[in-house]
Amino acid sequence: MLSVTQASLAFGGIKALDDVSFTAASGEITAIIGPNGAGKTSLFNIISGFYKPQQGRILFDEQDITHLRADKRAELGIARTFQNIALFRGMSVLENIKLGGHTRLSTGFWSAGFFYGEARREEARLRAEIERDVIDFLELDHIRKAPVAALPYGLQKRVELGRALAMQPKVLLLDEPVAGMNREETEDMARFILDIQARWGTTILLVEHDMGMVMDISNQVVVLNFGRQIALGTPDQVQANPAVIEAYLGTSATTEATATEEPA
Amino acid sequence: MGQFIQYMINGVISGSVLALIALGIVAVFKATKVVNFAHGHLILFGAYFYFTFSVVLSEAAFMPDWIRSWDPAWLQAYAGDAAMFSPKAAIASWVSDLPRILLGLIGALAANAVLALIIERLVMRPLLGQSAFAMILSTVGLIWVLEGSAGLIWTAEAEQVPALGPNFPIRFELFDQNLFLFSGSLVNLVVALLLFASLMLVLRYTRSGVAIRATAEDQSTAYAMGINVPRVFSTAWLVASTTGAVAGAILASRNGLSPAIGLFGLSVLAVVLMGGLDSFAGVLIASMLVGILSSMAQWKLGGGVAEIVPYVAVLVVILIRPHGFMGQEEIERI
Amino acid sequence: MITGHFKTDYSADEGIWSNWPKRWGLVAALIGLAIFPFMASNYALLLAGQIGIFIVAVTGLNVLIGYTGLMSLGHGAFFAVGAYTTVAIHHEWPLTFPLITLVISTVVAAAFGVLFGLPSLRVKGLYLAVATLSANFIILFLIEQDWLAEWTGGVRGTETPNAVFFGIELVSQQAKYFFIMPVMVLMLLFAQNLFRTRFGRALIAIRDKDYSAEILGIALFSYKLKSFAISAAYCGAAGSLWAYFFPAILPEDFGLNMSITLVVCLVAGGMGRTLGPIFGTILILLVPEMLKVVAAAITGGDATSQTWVSPTRDILFGLMIIGFLIFEPMGLVNIWDRFWRFMSRWPFAK
Ligand SMILES: Nc1ncnc2c1ncn2[C@@H]1O[C@H](COP(=O)(O)OP(=O)(O)OP(=O)(O)O)[C@@H](O)[C@H]1O
Ligand SMILES: [Mg+2]
Repeated sequence: MLSVTQASLAFGGIKALDDVSFTAASGEITAIIGPNGAGKTSLFNIISGFYKPQQGRILFDEQDITHLRADKRAELGIARTFQNIALFRGMSVLENIKLGGHTRLSTGFWSAGFFYGEARREEARLRAEIERDVIDFLELDHIRKAPVAALPYGLQKRVELGRALAMQPKVLLLDEPVAGMNREETEDMARFILDIQARWGTTILLVEHDMGMVMDISNQVVVLNFGRQIALGTPDQVQANPAVIEAYLGTSATTEATATEEPA
Repeated sequence: MGQFIQYMINGVISGSVLALIALGIVAVFKATKVVNFAHGHLILFGAYFYFTFSVVLSEAAFMPDWIRSWDPAWLQAYAGDAAMFSPKAAIASWVSDLPRILLGLIGALAANAVLALIIERLVMRPLLGQSAFAMILSTVGLIWVLEGSAGLIWTAEAEQVPALGPNFPIRFELFDQNLFLFSGSLVNLVVALLLFASLMLVLRYTRSGVAIRATAEDQSTAYAMGINVPRVFSTAWLVASTTGAVAGAILASRNGLSPAIGLFGLSVLAVVLMGGLDSFAGVLIASMLVGILSSMAQWKLGGGVAEIVPYVAVLVVILIRPHGFMGQEEIERI
Repeated sequence: MITGHFKTDYSADEGIWSNWPKRWGLVAALIGLAIFPFMASNYALLLAGQIGIFIVAVTGLNVLIGYTGLMSLGHGAFFAVGAYTTVAIHHEWPLTFPLITLVISTVVAAAFGVLFGLPSLRVKGLYLAVATLSANFIILFLIEQDWLAEWTGGVRGTETPNAVFFGIELVSQQAKYFFIMPVMVLMLLFAQNLFRTRFGRALIAIRDKDYSAEILGIALFSYKLKSFAISAAYCGAAGSLWAYFFPAILPEDFGLNMSITLVVCLVAGGMGRTLGPIFGTILILLVPEMLKVVAAAITGGDATSQTWVSPTRDILFGLMIIGFLIFEPMGLVNIWDRFWRFMSRWPFAK
């Protein structure tokens, strides 16, 4: 579905990504883990088109998208959420989610300005779709008209997921969807992610520090450290990989550390 | 060729005045992250204050005669029977003007400083932490407040004010070309560049300079490090208003006193963006460039074109290098 | 009075004229607009026409500043382009139908908008403010050039044509009013609609978080340019109406002062709201009138000639910008909202 081949990205002297290659299989959940500053967000940025990798290619559905603009990639069906919530703060939950439908609608300037007619029907269709696929699905009914800026953090993250979902994406990139959430919220979020996968067969890429969640729900794990890809495999393989343990616990801990140890 | 060099020289001279004006905008931006659209009007006030102290006040009835026109015996002896427009006559008349020039400068500096402190305290401080948009707009609002107030207080237009230095034509040869400039312009050039250079030194080597730079780097960290950030703000506004007062005096003596000084100051904003908002060096380069370009445009295309040179130049530069010659691009982490 | 209202389907929930105060408010406003000219003096009509024209322009500016979050201090230029295009068209073809002239002027202004919107692709905020301000100076400079003077009248300005509809020349204030107001109402409704659909939402998204908008598939560069084009088009339309409204125009009418006045109207009214430009423009354009009344009361006579009136007006404008930014950054609309929120709960709560 989505594959990154030998991608490298440097900011001045810092190598944010160094020869990263993996393929996210269709309909599966691929987790990307690594210590802070490992390059996880940078990886998402080259996939969604904010930065162009200096080397390497990105293929989506067999199409080379390495040089495509971010908005074009969105049109192809790549959606994402951000590590630091990037909602439209001046808008309500509903309006935020409606924006997710942007690429699927066709109202242009003129029909928008005259409104009555096609634009109005399209708006109604979008609304019904969103109510069904996003608001009901993510249990946001009680806050649909609330301004997003007033919502608690966990709900904002969920709204951002909703906005991405409204794009009906083929690939969904989630950057730390449960960071800063309590256990219950984390479990909700994990459930939503699995439901998305089950209901729409969406290919999901997930950056997360919560190892419990990562190991539970992902089919494949990519481990980055200082931009380099140090491991790739199933959760079990990765957990047993000495290089990974070393990266997470430091050199001295290699021997004592067991695969079950999970940084919170 | 001779013409070319002549206009180059003129360009450098006006460039130095642009740099002096730009200095105030950069200083305020560095410290407070506010781009002061009203800097030109602060300069306008400087010019009017200079006029008030050096002309109006010096001629007031209660002022001693020697302030209006200083005429000691040795000066009479020196001037003797110097011909009109001779350097000697110019110097003599400058010396006899000196008391009121100094009165004008000191008065303008002080009055403008007070004005800037009031503005900083009443307008800018309450807007602290607001969006860049609000900050820009409030300084735009200031333009009108200042322009209107100037219109209410001073009805004088195109009044003569004494030049900062003695003014006589200097003829000289360079590359076999006969060239010429006014000593007054030369004095303006020196004053402007000296002020520019000394402020850069102050910023680099003094305590308050370091405080300003630290605040420019990161306001909240500077605050946490015990830097008196509000004081840094006031200092920056003081720097802007006092250098602005000198610029105002120069402009008023060069082009005559008129509200147009404010608009001229506004055009310097374009110069500042060309150079890069937070870079003194970049702004100096841009000032010289615009000064020279305007002067060339004046020569080849006429005065009307010269006036819009900064605006055309800034559009071109922004399209090619969005943050000017040496400005720092703010990176947005996603 | 309780104005709670419950919707039974989503399309009703999407409606904007959904509650009766809004609906009747609109009807009342339209009726008021229609009967006003039969009761007002010529002077009041002059003001009303001017306000109507400005509302169109400020609405355009609102598209750019209020909804897209892009700054401009140069929209007077597009106003000028509209006005001068109208004059030039009538210079070449004196009998052109006014609505055609209006449309052409609007389109030409939009084209200029795109041209001077180009910097917005690379810079934001302050840089854009200076870029647009530069554009203003440059366009006025061009208008003043001798080689265009045949159409523009150069620095000395030019007389403007009257609109002629089917042999009827709009000469009186009243007749002009009936030309301006329908255009204004239609353009307001158009703008209002724009922001309840995909197109307008995309602009708001760019304002709120541009990179988020980008990953939702919104092409920043094309939408920003479109926003510039629309806002310039509105100003162009206003300029065209202006040319029909006043007997003569001068380049300096459209300078920095006008550009800033447009922004002041917007800030005072409230950015990013349909009613903002209306409230703001009415307030700001009436300030000089109130000042004249006050001045007349103080000096006991006609004060228009007093030299202090114009600087005092400038000071007031400046203070109003600053005052609004400090005390009511969301503008008059916010006060209006508060009033209605209060009314809708009254008398049960405060
Ligand atoms: N725009 C940028 N400019 C310069 N350096 C950057 C930029 N973005 C990221 N970096 C650097 O690239 C490296 C990787 O950053 P990245 O944000 O991808 O890490 P991460 O794995 O997402 O970390 P975290 O877990 O903290 O989110 C870091 O050293 C970071 O400082
Ligand atoms: Mg990250």
